[in-house]
Amino acid sequence: MPQTANPYSLLAELTYRCPLQCPYCSNPLKLHEYSKELDIATWKRVLAEAADLGVVQVHFSGGEPLLRRDLIDVVREARHVDLYTHLSTSGIPSDDVKWQQLRDAGLDALQISLQDSCPESSDWLAGVPSFEKKLRVLKTVKRLRFPVTLNVVLHRHNLENIGDLIELARQLDVEKLELAHVQYKGWAFRNRAVLLPSHAQIEQAAETVAQARERLGDRPEIVHVLPDYFQQFPKACLNGWGRVFLTVAPDGAVLPCQTAREIPGLNFPNVQTASLEEIWFHDSVFQRFRGTGWMPEPCRSCDRREIDYGGCRCQAFLLTGDLAATDPVCHLSPDHHLIDAAVSDATRESVSLQYRMFTT
Amino acid sequence: MKPAIEFRKPMLVRYARFRWDAVHEQHQIVFPEGVLVLNEAGAAIVRLCDGRSTDDLITSLEEQFKSGTWAEHVCNFFDRLAKKGLLHDAADG
Repeated sequence: MPQTANPYSLLAELTYRCPLQCPYCSNPLKLHEYSKELDIATWKRVLAEAADLGVVQVHFSGGEPLLRRDLIDVVREARHVDLYTHLSTSGIPSDDVKWQQLRDAGLDALQISLQDSCPESSDWLAGVPSFEKKLRVLKTVKRLRFPVTLNVVLHRHNLENIGDLIELARQLDVEKLELAHVQYKGWAFRNRAVLLPSHAQIEQAAETVAQARERLGDRPEIVHVLPDYFQQFPKACLNGWGRVFLTVAPDGAVLPCQTAREIPGLNFPNVQTASLEEIWFHDSVFQRFRGTGWMPEPCRSCDRREIDYGGCRCQAFLLTGDLAATDPVCHLSPDHHLIDAAVSDATRESVSLQYRMFTT
Repeated sequence: MKPAIEFRKPMLVRYARFRWDAVHEQHQIVFPEGVLVLNEAGAAIVRLCDGRSTDDLITSLEEQFKSGTWAEHVCNFFDRLAKKGLLHDAADG
């Protein structure tokens, strides 16, 4: 196997606590099992080790990173070791002072979530009143001249509001609007039957985005991530396992991807007992799916093996029980019928969402 | 948007950073959710985006590298960066 390259990007999940309860959250279902959080001294060490390892960008996320009282110190430390810092947040809880403090601490960029284009629907999806607050936050951070990406997770219940979401993004004058169809992991997998859209909805969404791009040009930049359940080939998940990205979870577990936790039988390393360098280069979980030697057919002989790396391991496991299987979204996968069945079985009836929360 | 070659004070936008990455051994412009890897020519150009005019920048490069072909490099490079929202004319305020 060729020598492992150094990573570029760290997802730092500071906590799994969150004031929202979105039913598509990619956090683990068993949140309560990971509730012991790393302290700030450990996070500072992790950030320094990440920078030494070649990480260029850190995304502070969770749960809701604003719930960490030491967030400002964490951000300041990240800037101190020359990391480019992002905050992925719902915007709640915060006040104007907090955003000014974050700006002063050196926070570089923001990704703020929105659940839908109007308060009733957005609040219903988030499980708590949040829409009005988010809009206030978006105006505050604009005034403070943060570059902002507005993140909206798309699914059956908000897909038809894409036009309104784009218009809202335009009015708020954000730099980027990321419209990302939900990925069926974590809580989204549990709620899959009520989240899956129809083919017609997807096509309409793509059309709306195309028209908006023509009308608006680059502002905002509109990123539209289509759902892999409706595509021929899988996504190059994370650009490949253990190639570019790593995640440190709130309890210190180091993961090749943030949803890998729901795969049983994988013994994840932890920053409390090993350095990031040891973990990245030598840990068996990280080594497990590097390169192409692990691939089964049809991936092993496929021309695309170094384009999409066989797709998503978590998805393969969730759908087939086999962590090493070809991602079933690939039309060449022997398990592709599972995707077709999920799409056609998705219930069209009344909606009962299982909200994300700590007690399961 | 005017062509980047007409920028009076070509500079990286406020939220883009130029750096040398000692681990990956490359020059980079880092920006929200992205990293642009620069070759030696790109790095040489960006290093001079310090508030001087485009003409002065091209002249400096020609002197530094004893070569007269920089105008086209700078023009193409600036257009790419401007299109990605990484370069602007600081003289426009």
